[in-house]
Amino acid sequence: MDGNGRWAARRSLPRTAGHEAAEAAVIDTIEAARSAGIQWLSLYAFSTENWQRPAGEVDVLMRLVRRTIRKHAPALHARGVRCRFLGMADPRIPPPLAQDITDLTTLTSDNRRMTLTIAFDHGGRRDIVEAARSLIRAAVPAEQVTEATFARHLPYSDTPDVDLVIRTSGEQRISNFMLWQVAYAEWVFPRVLWPDFRATHLWECLDAYRRRQRRFGDVRRPAATTGEGVR
Amino acid sequence: MNQTTAEETVDVFGPDSMLRRLVNEARWSLAVARATVLEAAHPQIGMALIGNSTFVTHPWRRLRNTVVSTQRMLDPDRHVRGREAARLNRLHARISGTDPHGRRYDAMDAEARAWVVATLFESAVTMYRLSGESLDGPAMERLYAEFRTVLALIEGDSDRLPATLREFWDYYDDMIDHRLENTEAVRVILYRLFANVPAPPLLRGHPAVWAAGRAVAGPVAAAITIASLPESFCRRAALPDLPGARALMHGAYLATGLATRLLPDGWTHVGSFMSLLDPDHAGGSGPWQNVRRRADQAAALLRLLSPAPDEMDQVTRSADRFFAEVLDQTGDGYLAWPDLAAMAREVATRLDLGEQDEERLYDAYAAWWRELQTELDTDGDGRVTRREYAASAALLPGSGLIKIADVLFDVTDVDDDQMIDAQEYRTLFRTAFHRDLTGGGDGYSRSAFVRRFVSFMSGQQHSVAYDSLLS
Repeated sequence: MDGNGRWAARRSLPRTAGHEAAEAAVIDTIEAARSAGIQWLSLYAFSTENWQRPAGEVDVLMRLVRRTIRKHAPALHARGVRCRFLGMADPRIPPPLAQDITDLTTLTSDNRRMTLTIAFDHGGRRDIVEAARSLIRAAVPAEQVTEATFARHLPYSDTPDVDLVIRTSGEQRISNFMLWQVAYAEWVFPRVLWPDFRATHLWECLDAYRRRQRRFGDVRRPAATTGEGVR
Repeated sequence: MNQTTAEETVDVFGPDSMLRRLVNEARWSLAVARATVLEAAHPQIGMALIGNSTFVTHPWRRLRNTVVSTQRMLDPDRHVRGREAARLNRLHARISGTDPHGRRYDAMDAEARAWVVATLFESAVTMYRLSGESLDGPAMERLYAEFRTVLALIEGDSDRLPATLREFWDYYDDMIDHRLENTEAVRVILYRLFANVPAPPLLRGHPAVWAAGRAVAGPVAAAITIASLPESFCRRAALPDLPGARALMHGAYLATGLATRLLPDGWTHVGSFMSLLDPDHAGGSGPWQNVRRRADQAAALLRLLSPAPDEMDQVTRSADRFFAEVLDQTGDGYLAWPDLAAMAREVATRLDLGEQDEERLYDAYAAWWRELQTELDTDGDGRVTRREYAASAALLPGSGLIKIADVLFDVTDVDDDQMIDAQEYRTLFRTAFHRDLTGGGDGYSRSAFVRRFVSFMSGQQHSVAYDSLLS
């Protein structure tokens, strides 16, 4: 979800206005993805590195996330979306927001139409380190550590590999996003800034993905659509 | 009947123990509530309860501890039983004193302890009778023998309870007629506890819902309990006999009896109810789990739909609430040694500490108490008022608290790796560490733990985990 700051700068508005405008893009994308039959959608909302931003901006972001959760929780639940948050380890997350996040997770825990993973205070490397720690704590012998067993120790280990990553605003970096799960992902980099991202942009990205041949190193293997990440 | 002693075969209660089955049934709580009133009517026990117990301010915690303790006492493993008996004895040995009228009480008093077991036995018999399944002679004899065994495990022998059932009823009637009084503790249980019982952990987020339910359930529970007490005691203690109360009481007991017979076992198991009441209760998938999950979801939706409370209100808790919920464990409005002893007792029970560790913990709390008395008790009445605490708690040197935190760290860090890891944290706080972790990621270091504890206990920083431990 890149480009909030640039979107605001182009309109001579404070950066926080860009974050506020991003709410519509988030809701539109979730609804469009659900209609398109996507069962796994991940949004990268806040990275572990984002704590380095000015305190005022972080504060506004936290308030915005809280407001968005409270505003849209009933609708997400009604639409059968299971919401969960990946990361969430930093004590700086305000307790009321943490409570709302817990409530949203609890409320939607039985839904299965679509799983929406919000990467919040997320870092792909940290997840890998967590998995390694979990393996060591479980005293798994070295020879039994395979890619499959390792993946089972990652947070939310039922999340499938990501098929498509969409990074808006033309930036072309991974930025520590779900490092393990994006190993075989296709990437598209639309130039649109995140606050302007709408259903049509998502459809374009999906169309581009469908036209690609995914071979996973093989020569004939066909493509399949399960998961999608928006960066 | 022969005298029962503590040194016996491995499982003294036998594989088909009546008592073990009974304490795992949810209706046992009706009998326990009734027995508690009869216990409180014993002058010694009544004084000890008023002076030391946290049952009015923290009844759910007390209930949980009682359930766990009873299960340990009836464990098939001799070592588990022995350890629990020793722990209970150490706990009781610390409870003695003088009431405001100068009368002495001592929780180690053998006669009083026998009375506790007697009330539990008689309440169990009454529970069976009122549930429509009276025990026949041999069954009652067997149950009595099992209760005497419990007393023998705690006391070393069961001499204080009559050897035969026939003699027991004489003893019981004599106690009711001549020994029991309408103590303050009886009145507190019947009129204060039932009317003001705080929300169980599951409903703490919904004070309005709880208060509305309690307004009806509190008086009903009191009426049911009173109607089930022996007639002569009610007459002497001048307890009210409300119209319809007896029918209500019979109905309640019959319903629990039917539920126990007709519903699947898991539904009426005491563990299922404990997990329903307490979200932190470990224990996976009881039949009530589904109900609880639905209730959790409804509660979450309610919270998300209600207007967001002011963030500052949630972060900074008022000094008054902190004093009432954490410091004043006995609920008498003052901070005194019994409050600190209750904190030590809770931690020792939760971590199932051995004698040495328990001693260290109590010593640390005693040191803190001396510090509080010296620095805060300005009027020298031996206790600290809310005002005295608020006035100068922040100026305390804090060495007493640091000592407690140090000991707490040592006894929690069972693998001695100088870190409190996820498992150890869960044992202490009964909740996963997640957001309360300050930095690091894989545990609490000693310094972080001490810092956190001291800032929580001096009321400077709110902590959900410590709240769950002490409030």
